[in-house]
Amino acid sequence: MALKALDIYKLLPKKNCKECGDPTCLTFAMKLAGGKADVDLCPYLSEEAKSVLGASTRPPIRLVRVGVGERFFKVGEETVLYRHEKTFYHPPGIVFRVRDTQTAPEIAAVTRRVRDETFTRVGADLRFSGIAIENTSGSAETFAKAVAAVEAEQAHLPPVLIAKDPAALKAGLVHCGSYRPLLHAANKENFRDLCALAKQYGCPLVIRAATPEGLVQLMKDCTEEGVQELMLDPAPETLGAFITRSTQIRQLAITRSVPELGYPVFLDSTLTGQQDAAIALGIVKYASVIVTDPLTPGPAKAALTLRQNIYTDPQKPIQMNPGLYRVGTPDKDAPVLLTVNFSLTFFTLEGYLESTRVPCFMLIVDTEGLSVLTAVAAGKLSETLVRDSIKKFGLENEVSHRKLIIPGYAAPLSGRIEEATGWKVLVGPRDAAEIGEFLHEEWKKEGGAP
Amino acid sequence: MPDVELAKKQGEILLKTRVSAVRQSFSYEETAYHLPISYALTGVPVHDQRAALDVYSRTGSNPLVASESILADMTAVSGKEPGPYTGFISDTVIRKLGYSLVDGSILGLALVVGTPPNAGMAAAVCRELQEKYMLTFLAGEVIPALSGAGVRLGLEYRLIPLGSTPFYGVHFVDIIARVAMMFGGVPPGDTHRLLTYAAERARAIVIVFPGLTDEEIALVDGMRVLGFPILTPGGYRGGSWIQAVPEDIVRKGMEERGIRVNVTAIPIPMGCSPAFEGKSIRKEEMYVEFGGGRSPAFELLRMRMPDEVKDGQVTVIGPEIGTMKEGSANPLGIIIEVAGRTMKKDYEPVLERRIHNFVNYGEGSWHVAQRDLIWVRISKEAVAKGVRIEHIGKLLASKFRMDFPQLLDAVSVTLITDREKVLAAKKEAEEIYDERDARIKGMRDQDVDTYYSCTLCQTFAPNHVCVITPERPALCGAISWLDGKIAFEMSPAGANQPVEKGAALNVQNGEFDGVNRFIKKASHGEIERCSLYSVMEYPMTCCGCFEAIALMLPEVNGIMVVNREFKGMTPSGMTFSTLAGTIGGGAQTPGFAGISKNYILSDRFLQGEGGIERLVWMPSQLREELRDRLTKKLAEKGLAGLFGKIADETTAATIEDLAAFLERVQHPALAMKPLV
Amino acid sequence: MSYELNFGWTSTIGEVMLGATKADGGTRRLSYRIGGGTTLPFLESRAGSPSPLIALEICDYLPFWPPIVKNYCGDLVNSVGEWAKAADASYGADLIRLYLTSTRQRNFEDIATLGKTVEDVLSASSLPLAIEGSNEPKIDSEVFQTCGEVAQGERLLLGTAEAGKYRSVAAAALAYNHSIIAQSPIDINLAKQLNILLKEIGVQRDHIVIDPYTGALGYGFEYSYSAMERIRFSALKGDADLAMPMICSAIDSLTIKEVREAEPRLQDEMATRWEFYTGIAAAAAGAEIICVRHPGTIPLLRKAFTDMKKPAGPAEVR
Repeated sequence: MALKALDIYKLLPKKNCKECGDPTCLTFAMKLAGGKADVDLCPYLSEEAKSVLGASTRPPIRLVRVGVGERFFKVGEETVLYRHEKTFYHPPGIVFRVRDTQTAPEIAAVTRRVRDETFTRVGADLRFSGIAIENTSGSAETFAKAVAAVEAEQAHLPPVLIAKDPAALKAGLVHCGSYRPLLHAANKENFRDLCALAKQYGCPLVIRAATPEGLVQLMKDCTEEGVQELMLDPAPETLGAFITRSTQIRQLAITRSVPELGYPVFLDSTLTGQQDAAIALGIVKYASVIVTDPLTPGPAKAALTLRQNIYTDPQKPIQMNPGLYRVGTPDKDAPVLLTVNFSLTFFTLEGYLESTRVPCFMLIVDTEGLSVLTAVAAGKLSETLVRDSIKKFGLENEVSHRKLIIPGYAAPLSGRIEEATGWKVLVGPRDAAEIGEFLHEEWKKEGGAP
Repeated sequence: MPDVELAKKQGEILLKTRVSAVRQSFSYEETAYHLPISYALTGVPVHDQRAALDVYSRTGSNPLVASESILADMTAVSGKEPGPYTGFISDTVIRKLGYSLVDGSILGLALVVGTPPNAGMAAAVCRELQEKYMLTFLAGEVIPALSGAGVRLGLEYRLIPLGSTPFYGVHFVDIIARVAMMFGGVPPGDTHRLLTYAAERARAIVIVFPGLTDEEIALVDGMRVLGFPILTPGGYRGGSWIQAVPEDIVRKGMEERGIRVNVTAIPIPMGCSPAFEGKSIRKEEMYVEFGGGRSPAFELLRMRMPDEVKDGQVTVIGPEIGTMKEGSANPLGIIIEVAGRTMKKDYEPVLERRIHNFVNYGEGSWHVAQRDLIWVRISKEAVAKGVRIEHIGKLLASKFRMDFPQLLDAVSVTLITDREKVLAAKKEAEEIYDERDARIKGMRDQDVDTYYSCTLCQTFAPNHVCVITPERPALCGAISWLDGKIAFEMSPAGANQPVEKGAALNVQNGEFDGVNRFIKKASHGEIERCSLYSVMEYPMTCCGCFEAIALMLPEVNGIMVVNREFKGMTPSGMTFSTLAGTIGGGAQTPGFAGISKNYILSDRFLQGEGGIERLVWMPSQLREELRDRLTKKLAEKGLAGLFGKIADETTAATIEDLAAFLERVQHPALAMKPLV
Repeated sequence: MSYELNFGWTSTIGEVMLGATKADGGTRRLSYRIGGGTTLPFLESRAGSPSPLIALEICDYLPFWPPIVKNYCGDLVNSVGEWAKAADASYGADLIRLYLTSTRQRNFEDIATLGKTVEDVLSASSLPLAIEGSNEPKIDSEVFQTCGEVAQGERLLLGTAEAGKYRSVAAAALAYNHSIIAQSPIDINLAKQLNILLKEIGVQRDHIVIDPYTGALGYGFEYSYSAMERIRFSALKGDADLAMPMICSAIDSLTIKEVREAEPRLQDEMATRWEFYTGIAAAAAGAEIICVRHPGTIPLLRKAFTDMKKPAGPAEVR
């Protein structure tokens, strides 16, 4: 049962000493309530208060770090079952797997791919997250060589070591142990050996069992051995099993009904025999580390885009960078269409403009991500913003005419925009779907040639 | 002149005799619904005398049922009448008709029977029905009268000749029975549902010319049970038939039945579209202006009774634009009178606000402000195209009807440009404005049993619902209790829903069991209790668009307020932005509440915590914005010095500074019950 | 320790029938019953819970269609009959969704040909049919009447009703017993309102499929995804006005930049994977009809859905 900020405040010393890093106890209490602070930061809490608070304010799903340096990633600290309730915080690491039966050059090529390949969308660089090395050969020596081949590329990528034999893991760790690799996986037979390795190198450990009871037991065993950073592999045989088990783990963890399941989930997408489906389901159904064979461009881009979409904070809509965008190759007589920098508005309008096949400019102004209606109502879309944007983006050098088409819902601003900019304002349709008709009829009447 | 009641009784007796004499077995091939009226009412397929008598007695000797059987029998014996008479119409055609009824290309159905005194009268009535998108069925001498007058008949003209005598009018009812079963989901035999469907959905009227036999009178009168108004231009006495002159009979019938014609075009020489809304008219561009401080002007919208408003009527009292000098300022009074079955006086201000938008939609007309502060201009270009004040009236009349098709049945506009008359009418208008203001101002939460919810922000906060009371507006500041009430009444399925208050569980905190029940449901079980006037206990949830946040400062036993515009740090150790991120999204956070700025002036603000004496800090800009009204309010409560004791970022930026400040000024919050 | 999940659902998703076999007065070789879910998608342990249906979208006027489809399918797309036949026999769709794109031409008037087009498709394939009509007030009434009438008895899924324009589709549904797609702009409250308006003019709840509008992956998809999750959640928590099956049709998927600008030899893969990832995510959110335009996506989805429906392991989930 999550405690509210007020209840937490009542248990705090109320000294406003600032030693936790926050200016007031109230602030600290609010952070604890949101699962965003560690109760240990307060030096004046009684042991009793600490345990009461700890249990109910600690993030329900533990934060686990994989890798070091610039490419390290962290997962966990999630609080909801549905992204619309708040948001999903930490996108899953999607990791390419190499097998130790592959040649060194092959292994190196995959490593370089993950190191270099970047897919940029809406101002964000999307990349794959790490390299998994699997002990397909069964030989510890071969495995170690494969790990060494990865590290020889100096890519500094987060490693995931997949082996059934603790000896193989031990051999592999020699080459990458200081890079916080994720170890896969501990089961009820080998957990002591794996915990020892995890402790020795200070790296996170995946525990694997097909039932929640199995996972809970392993969790207890491993924490007793001193390993705190765990991930759960529910060993799904089918995609349906993955959906069910992952949902179960998430729900039981965030409601704190079974706190022992409060850890990020691991998924090997090839085990179910359908990689793309597993990746897609992993992304939407709570997986935090997804291992896959290297993907060709189609599934690679789709997977990275899905991850970006699902892990976008619903309350912080993606904004486009304000500026002048071209559709096709517009010349000096091409129409100029004004709209806001809310990404959805932009894409919708861009899509319709592209299908009209009329080359044109889109003047995207900074309304802090608000849609047209909201921006007009809130006063964020104003004549001064339009005037300043025209200057800033050098629009007057791009077109010889001085006519601006504005969205239908911005009609109330038409007169003021004309006055502020000196441009003639044409009021376009309210529904972007009608822009084609508008360009073919109204813009043409203005002497513009589509 | 037959007396309807007497003739009806005679007719029923005759029908009884005739139905007992039915001999043949009969059936209409083109339908799956047997004899549709009998089938719809009883579920019994009637194809012979035994069945006919059975349903006749089951339905209490219903004249419609009897007539149907009699006519089916007659048709079986003598065959169908020759063209142009249609007789019984097939299911396939009925399906097409029903389609047009649902999709709105036909507004309703009319039955016209009897012998018109002259062909011209019949032709005029039928033409009016056609213009108003009614589908008209004819039976009797009216048919040859129309043909004789050169009126074309047939499905494509929406004038369908059923049969040579008014008795064939029974097909009108079997058509409606089939529409009910095909489209209305009425199961055969469900009398109650059929009658409900007919009364609520079937938009049908009956117009009776003279010359009906007693049986035919009984038949027609029998249609009243279905909710069809029966109108006649003369020739009958008594009964519940509505007398109306031919010029008015269609309008009256449609009004009786609630059939409204939608306005689609505006007959004025100027464009009209929201696209013109932002275009202003500069001094050099204007031909003439009204109001704006240069001449007296006002606007007013009033509700009237339906018979007091002639739809579409525009009257100009005083000089027209044509006689006004170019560049001059002239007096203007705009009076809109509206009538509608569901229209209420409360809606007047809401509708009145639209005058501003509508005038701005005109290409060449411009409008600013409201009430007696309006400023209106008409451009030279528009006047050159022929636009006159009368056209502005037409624009308004049309737009009100177009935008409120369900609410308004009739709109008329009066434009006064005569100075003396404007001044006199303005005085009356001002009294009405004051009356309206007084009504809202005085409203208290305990005066009403129903509050209103708002879910407009649920896109961002799925479990959040605002509960709006007369003394607590929505936290976005945009919607008052009256706005919510009107929005609900105008769009019952919209974002504002009624919340039954129920019993008071905690008067000081403003907790009501009805409100709790509503919130629990609306938040899908997430939130169980809500105190409308408390910040500390079960405060209302917040979405993200609140104007300000009220939050506890336990160290000083008080509540502070920070508004969206203030970007700096507050004594709580958090900025507005940080706070908004934590308490928004539909969460209920005791100690924190999102509010509108005006709520600070409400008597209910902080009532749960003991009253406004709790208020210890707010940003200086907000303080200034509220200064006049807040000091007035505090004085009324006997707290005259309190305003000076409320700190802001210039007098206390941190919690330590605030504690010292409050101590210095002896702020009442320090002595109140502990908050935590 | 209990591992049981109890979401506290109080209601179920309604069911809609699509397609009518001979026994029901139609000429389809099978009919579908979609909906009926009692919990979140794919958590169901009841037998016979349906997989999402995979619909192939085809059209009668190619200029308004993504060019990649013709490149892949070849000339058969020049004839709706051939295309429908292929959809059924070669591409393995569950449902054919016919877009009457010819009606989107400016000043289109030839409504009689539409009747013939619908007939051609009905005879070319005996799969249940969905038809997407016009979106032009001047011709809508006639277009929907024609479609409804020609396919009377076949239990079509007719599209699309929106807040301002639903009367003609609704009329066709009522007159000829078809179901309709009710679309709202990614807003759960507007979806609910539209369903209420439809109920008011007589369309029964079990004849409505909700379309929350699906933006393409990367172009607003996440908004649609969350709208679907919210609709499903509200329905299971007892909101009868939202308890209808949903349809996902991300029509822009094949014209987005990533597909258009892909190398020619990789273009089909980009297109199918884009549709695939969208379809899987939508199905996980609760969509019961997934629409695609590239035939290559169909076998991928089918294989995935089969495995997604395989029951869970030991722990029971309700």
